[in-house]
Amino acid sequence: MEKQTSPYRWGMVVDLDRCSGCGACVVACQAENNVAICGKKEIAEGRNMHWLRIERFWVGEYPNVRARFLPVLCQHCRDAPCEPVCPVYASYHNPDGLNGQVYNRCVGTRYCGNNCPYAVRVFNFYSHQWPKPLENQLSPDITVRTRGVMEKCTFCIQRIRRAKEDAGGEGRLIRDGEVQPACAQTCPTEALVFGNLADPRSRVARLVRSPRRFRLLEHLGTHPSVYYLKGGGREHV
Amino acid sequence: MSEPTLPAAKSAGRMNDAMLSSLRPPTLRWYLLAFFLGAVVAWGLYAFGYMVSTDMSCTGLDRPVMWGIFIVNFVFWIGLSHSGTMVSAILRLSRANWRRPILRAAEAMTVFTVTVGALFPLIHLGRNWVFFYLIPYPNQRGLWPNFRSALLWDATAIFTYVIGSSLFLYLGMLPDLAVARDRSAGWRRTLYGALAMGWRGTAREWLIFHKASTLMAALIIPVAVSVHSIVAWDFAVTVVPGWHSTIFPPYFVIGAILSGVAAVITLMVIIRKAFHLEEYLTPLHFDNMGKLLLVIALLWSYAYFVEVQTTWYAHEPIEWEVFSFMAGKYTPALLLMLVGNSLLPLTALCFRRIRRSVGAMLAISLLVNVAMFIERYLIIVPSLSHKNMPFVWGTYFPSWVELSVTAGAFAGFALMYTLFAKCFPMVALTDVRELEARKVLVPFARAELPSIAGKEAGDD
Amino acid sequence: MIEILGIFRDFESAGRAVERLVGEGFAEAQITSLTSVPYPDGALVKTGQRTRFRWLTLGCFIVGAVAGFALAAGTAWLYPVQTGEKPIIAYYPTGIVTYELAMLFALAGTIVGMFLEMGLPVWRKRPYDPAIAEGCIGISVTIHPGGEAVVCGREAETGECIGSVFSLPAGEQKSRAEEIMREAGALRIVAEEPS
Repeated sequence: MEKQTSPYRWGMVVDLDRCSGCGACVVACQAENNVAICGKKEIAEGRNMHWLRIERFWVGEYPNVRARFLPVLCQHCRDAPCEPVCPVYASYHNPDGLNGQVYNRCVGTRYCGNNCPYAVRVFNFYSHQWPKPLENQLSPDITVRTRGVMEKCTFCIQRIRRAKEDAGGEGRLIRDGEVQPACAQTCPTEALVFGNLADPRSRVARLVRSPRRFRLLEHLGTHPSVYYLKGGGREHV
Repeated sequence: MSEPTLPAAKSAGRMNDAMLSSLRPPTLRWYLLAFFLGAVVAWGLYAFGYMVSTDMSCTGLDRPVMWGIFIVNFVFWIGLSHSGTMVSAILRLSRANWRRPILRAAEAMTVFTVTVGALFPLIHLGRNWVFFYLIPYPNQRGLWPNFRSALLWDATAIFTYVIGSSLFLYLGMLPDLAVARDRSAGWRRTLYGALAMGWRGTAREWLIFHKASTLMAALIIPVAVSVHSIVAWDFAVTVVPGWHSTIFPPYFVIGAILSGVAAVITLMVIIRKAFHLEEYLTPLHFDNMGKLLLVIALLWSYAYFVEVQTTWYAHEPIEWEVFSFMAGKYTPALLLMLVGNSLLPLTALCFRRIRRSVGAMLAISLLVNVAMFIERYLIIVPSLSHKNMPFVWGTYFPSWVELSVTAGAFAGFALMYTLFAKCFPMVALTDVRELEARKVLVPFARAELPSIAGKEAGDD
Repeated sequence: MIEILGIFRDFESAGRAVERLVGEGFAEAQITSLTSVPYPDGALVKTGQRTRFRWLTLGCFIVGAVAGFALAAGTAWLYPVQTGEKPIIAYYPTGIVTYELAMLFALAGTIVGMFLEMGLPVWRKRPYDPAIAEGCIGISVTIHPGGEAVVCGREAETGECIGSVFSLPAGEQKSRAEEIMREAGALRIVAEEPS
């Protein structure tokens, strides 16, 4: 079999110095991806459906306390622990380096959710409803997931697909910055930068070369595609 | 062994009567028991049906604890199934004569516990109604399961084990079925006649039968070991702190045998009482099973110590977090587990008087299994509660649905076992009678000592 | 071929009957015992110790291993799914599935082989007595039509398989065997009509 190759390796850089913890990315993600709406009860039960969360930590002792923010989304690992454990290939790896999730294949063993060290996989414990008029904003580009299946961030794969079609029609590759997931598009401080890591001149590829870069739980050897730029210079210098 | 395994010289007919007493028409008490168990099973089924028809929010599961008591049950029941076939196979191969009255109870237990256990991975699915996506068969959906997943290894191993242990049970029962056929009438005669396949007990049939039994015993042991190793790999091959551990497969196998041996002892007490088999299940049997339990409890303690000791010494932050969280939040359960699996059996079973006391053995064996259930819980739940990302740490407590399904599983096992006991010989009567038929008294100086004539059939 | 079956109350009289039958010219291979518990070989009758069903176990083990390998590795190769950097065929899982299926086939093969070699199942009525279940012992003699050199079994010569009685007509063989068994203390004789 011929090995599938791709000119793309999608990745993201999260600059923690720029993140203000506003949560716009979370809202944008929810609106873009038909992510179910959860009430207080569900969130209290630990069953919220956000594909992207902002972890908030407090640094320092009162009164010199600062809030630090860490946006965590699917890290799209190159050696993803969620993929081999899925018995039905619902969780798979696509040639662009994305961790795909095929919703209608998923039988709900939740093995991937357990094995994800970043805990970014969310499970549909409920049969979710969209109260009127919110059902009008459901995107036709992406499935509405039923109860009993696992879902997670896809780097807005529907946008990547559309950009590929546009670029393919013109016989070129996707230009840097032409496609952005909803979170990166919305981020007011440009803390989230998305792009093709395989292209050394792309903005992400240049940012990734920063000495501030690190990856979450790097010691596990999962090789995430999401890079973080260390923040908090002011507290520690 | 100094004393005879069985009281000397009993007529074959009397022994048949005693050992086939379970086949007598059921009494009112039996019907009441079956009805009660059936009602609990029905309640469990209702709870499961409720979960399937609404959604999984009725469980206690959340993120990050995505596996709960259903998987605890799965590991527990598959573990229980280990002793049956494995102990019976080991005792067969080692020619331990005291094994004979225990065999059937142990082998039947295996078949029913593994059946109950195998249901849980299907019960816990988010979309149970598409469970067939997991089965490798050509289909128009273009789906094929992923053999990289430990769940597929589970499926193949458990399938092999269910088939293998059922065949093992049936094989051991073949001559007994012929006896039952000759002593019964009506539908029972038809049933036993069909199952006995025209067995007459010719010398040639016995020879082949014994060789086949020995071979089956030798084949089933590695299968049993592999089944629980694979169950352990469900956890050990992940990157979850507290699960990712190389000692898990042997540790799980030892735990499985520990719970299995204890369950066999519990069932021995119940069968002895229910079918008045005091003559056949003597204190000697409890003594020997007690010694076995003592050895396995020692092994378990060793494995547990090794597991915790390496983690403690390395003190890798997240691994240690899992352990200290578990010890802090589940202290009473942890202590009960240590007492039930280690301290109590290790001390109490050293005493011959305790090993020979049926009541004490019942209490110990029940406590071992309570402790083993807790052990499975403490392996699965705390590890998931405190995974690598502290921001999404969580807790879990089973809901009424999960507890009802668990109760249904226990009742379902008991019901299947009760029905089996009413339909099939519960004591391996030919095995017992074989020993009796070959017992001779040999003059030895001033005494006459009992001895077993000839080497055991099947020895080559 | 006729089979006659004598039912004996105890071990000793059954043993005596076999002794006399052999003395009268019946071969060991013609005589077998029907018991509800196994006795050591030679206590009543001697049987050929050779069995062949274990070859079937081995054969099934190999077939199962091939089937398991085909299921895990063969299908992966036939319908390749590329998942990241991982090889198409997964090594350890293939080993595990191969092992499990090999054992499954071996276990099933053992049971099938055992029944094949026993010649079971048999649904037609054969000489039998329910008293055997109660501890009585049956001694069965197989009588071949007289004057016929029968070769029974691949390795057995005529003389081994049917003793010197083979020259007698079947009826006489039968009555002689019945007589011996009655003398030895048979409770009753169950005979089968020639088939």
